[in-house]
Amino acid sequence: MRGYFDTLKVIVLIAFRNLFASWLKTLIVGGIILFGSMLVVVGTALVDSVDASMSRSIIGSVAGHIQVYNAKSADELAVMGNFQMEGADLAQIDDFKVMRDAIMTVPNVKDVVPMGLSGAMVPAGNTVDVMLEKLRDLVRRKQAGEDVRAAIESQKDHVRQIVGVLSVDFANIGKVLSERAVSSDEREAIRRATAPGFWNEFDKDPLGTLEFLENRIAPLASDAEILFLRYVGTDLAAFSRSFDRMKIVDGTTIPPGKRGFLFSKWIYEQQVKLKTAHRLDDIRDAIVKRGKTIAKDPDLQRQIKLNTTEVKEILLQLDSQQVAMFRDKLQRELGSKESDVSKLLAEFLRVDDSTIMRRYRFFYDELAPSLTLYRVRVGDTLTIKAFTRSGYVQSVNLRVYGTFAFEGLEDSHLAGELNIMDLVSFRELYGFSTPERDKEIQAIKASAGLKEIDRDKVEAELFAAGASDDSATPEKPNSIGDAEAALRSLSGRAKLVKRENESYDPAQLEQGVVLNGAVIVKDPRQIRQTMADIEAAGRKAGLTLKAIDWQKASGLVGQFVTMIRAVLYISVLIIFAVALVIINNALVMATLERMAEIGTLRAVGAQRRFLLGMLLVEALAVGGLFGGLGSALGAGIVAILRVVGIPAFNDIFYFFFSGPRLHPGLSVTNVAIALTIVLVVSAASSIYPGILAMRVSPRQAMQSDE
Amino acid sequence: MANIVSVQNVSKNYTLGTFVVPALRGVSLDVEEGEFLAIAGPSGSGKTTLLNLIGCVDTPTEGIVRIAGKVTQTMSERERTRLRLHTIGFIFQSFNLVSVLSVFQNIELPLLLQRSAAAKERRTRVEGLLDRVGIREYAKHRPSELSGGQRQRVAIARALVTRPQLVLADEPTANLDSVTGTNILDLMKELNRTEKTTFIFSTHDARVWSYASSVVRLADGKLVDRVSAEEAVRLGGVGGLPQNPSART
Repeated sequence: MRGYFDTLKVIVLIAFRNLFASWLKTLIVGGIILFGSMLVVVGTALVDSVDASMSRSIIGSVAGHIQVYNAKSADELAVMGNFQMEGADLAQIDDFKVMRDAIMTVPNVKDVVPMGLSGAMVPAGNTVDVMLEKLRDLVRRKQAGEDVRAAIESQKDHVRQIVGVLSVDFANIGKVLSERAVSSDEREAIRRATAPGFWNEFDKDPLGTLEFLENRIAPLASDAEILFLRYVGTDLAAFSRSFDRMKIVDGTTIPPGKRGFLFSKWIYEQQVKLKTAHRLDDIRDAIVKRGKTIAKDPDLQRQIKLNTTEVKEILLQLDSQQVAMFRDKLQRELGSKESDVSKLLAEFLRVDDSTIMRRYRFFYDELAPSLTLYRVRVGDTLTIKAFTRSGYVQSVNLRVYGTFAFEGLEDSHLAGELNIMDLVSFRELYGFSTPERDKEIQAIKASAGLKEIDRDKVEAELFAAGASDDSATPEKPNSIGDAEAALRSLSGRAKLVKRENESYDPAQLEQGVVLNGAVIVKDPRQIRQTMADIEAAGRKAGLTLKAIDWQKASGLVGQFVTMIRAVLYISVLIIFAVALVIINNALVMATLERMAEIGTLRAVGAQRRFLLGMLLVEALAVGGLFGGLGSALGAGIVAILRVVGIPAFNDIFYFFFSGPRLHPGLSVTNVAIALTIVLVVSAASSIYPGILAMRVSPRQAMQSDE
Repeated sequence: MANIVSVQNVSKNYTLGTFVVPALRGVSLDVEEGEFLAIAGPSGSGKTTLLNLIGCVDTPTEGIVRIAGKVTQTMSERERTRLRLHTIGFIFQSFNLVSVLSVFQNIELPLLLQRSAAAKERRTRVEGLLDRVGIREYAKHRPSELSGGQRQRVAIARALVTRPQLVLADEPTANLDSVTGTNILDLMKELNRTEKTTFIFSTHDARVWSYASSVVRLADGKLVDRVSAEEAVRLGGVGGLPQNPSART
């Protein structure tokens, strides 16, 4: 044994001496290895850290560790969507309780959260509609005997102001485009609403005038917004228990047993907030959080341009008093004598790097209190219309209880894309029945005088003598839950029943239909086994469950890390392929230069494996030394990055970093991977030179000069 | 005395493209243990080829080579290497020291390859030989820091460190001046006498023959004769043999 050690010693000695003898070559080869190993350590540490952060983001925001859905589904589940509005086409799981009970038999499962994912377009109304609705309400109150004259006058004044803004707007359209760009009907409507006697007419016939304003003037405002909302229907209590990063930002959570809607704070800011205010927020955040400047950033310049050209959004909200107030404040702030508020607003919003902070504060301190910053406010009722699975349009009115965010992911659109509604309302929108719904359908049927008749007797029932004109025979819907939609489609008159205050029996959460479930596990290291156990438990309970891990469940987002890892490994592969070729060439050159020495070693009794060992040690020494240095350097870089943190330069990275900065960690595995790759490449690169060396005949020693 | 080397009717051909070049033709030679044998002949006469065959560095095309009673051409490459390591020591014309190792390490190298001697024993043997060849003070030097004569002393020490039965020296004095060459031959002769090691060396230097117990004369790949050192000196030139202008074989 000692003899082997001594031989190894001489091999190492020769190898090292050779490395020092051709130090320049060693440095070049070593430099490549150093860079490669450093890249592997830093790269794998970063990717692992992003992987861990992203898993925290995905697991903690909606996916859970495992998602379970019906294996018979047409699509694969993607809880974060595949950048599509509509959700995946999933087959239903009839009874959540059966699924839950089956899954809970798996020892590693901590909790199961029922879910359903879908999307809808929600009309949020326009400013004129809102103002006219207020005026109509006041008129009704007046007719009921309430003394609301002052309020009516003020609201009239506001509507007059709006009509004035629209009149100027349409005059400009006529100038900029052509007279034909404004139709004669539109021109006539504007002319009538701005005529001197119009508001006297209002006093005589307020409701008739309001109808004219609602039907002819409001559509001209064209600032109606459609909200694109993706939502998850769930059991709020189970959801907030399992996803403890969820916090309520505004308002309250949906009370147990109540129907309701929670906006994601991110969506609320992005889609519901006054566009001008939102753009100002964005500009400020880009400067403060990401160090951008307006002078150099075309995107910020574009946002400023939009703000200066879309002041109508603000003007429509102002009555004449507010217009005067805005004029005064803006004139003082800008030191301007301009009297046109739209021009003053445009000037005010034309910010640069020197004025943005002051004007941002001024906007929120002086102007915003007079504005409605959010189209939908906490406490409002939101009408959500969505297509059921079988293609009917279904609506529910839901009270907005508040907004929520996931702690640490407030600025991430990926974590903030999903809103939340109660599971019972989700089922209705998706076309599944509830006991309350069944009762309601019966009531509608009774009030509409509907009765169910046999398909074979349709003709006799409809056209025979005695068949009443107002009876109708609805087609039996495919799904009981579609009945109301079918009825409304038939009659066109059925009124949507307001549901926002409705309660439901919490037991319905447990027993109804769900599309998928988020599983929280006790030990995340056993996810793979747990998935298999869940599917097996499903089979035992007669369910066709498919379990997928959080990464797969998150759709394309989850594949991001895999993609980065692939890019990293390809880069590493290229670097080390180059390193392999260079080390190989260097060793081949060294072998050819040392033919006499190798021949001598063979002549004095060195076996071939000794020579192979010598070259192997030489390559491994370079690899080990520089790979070690590179790994140490990489570890140092990761340690610095851990302290300093890598800023998330956009909201996607905010999600991937699970917060505003990534503080990467280093594991032994990162260094081990780097050293293993380096040593394998080094060893591989010594194979060909080793074969060359082994072929050197001891005769070479006799034929050469030293 | 037993034969340490027995060469029987050996031929060696080299192939150069389509040409077959005979380097040795039907050479037979026996060398007894303890001999100090010179192989003389002009360049291209086959001296180095014969040394290669005796040193198990090469195998004959025909005939039999026995070293210490073992037929070399039936041995595997690995066994021949082993035989070289344990039975034969080499001294090269160009010294062939490992440039990156010190004098001590160069001499110790064959012992390390043998893996049989403990560190202490290796040190004793190497230091003993350093004393014998008179370069103790250069133990830590690199070969490049030594003169030609000193390097050849290192080579001799390396050849002897495993206590081989046979030492082969290929033109050991060719790269040395006459005084240094004489000193080296004195040293080899003394080691031959004291250690009873058999020495076979090739040379075309007439001064060297006088040290030999006998001289084998080669010409054109054939063994001309085997004469005493005095006879060889008397014949003069390269042993009275015609010069071959072609390269050494």
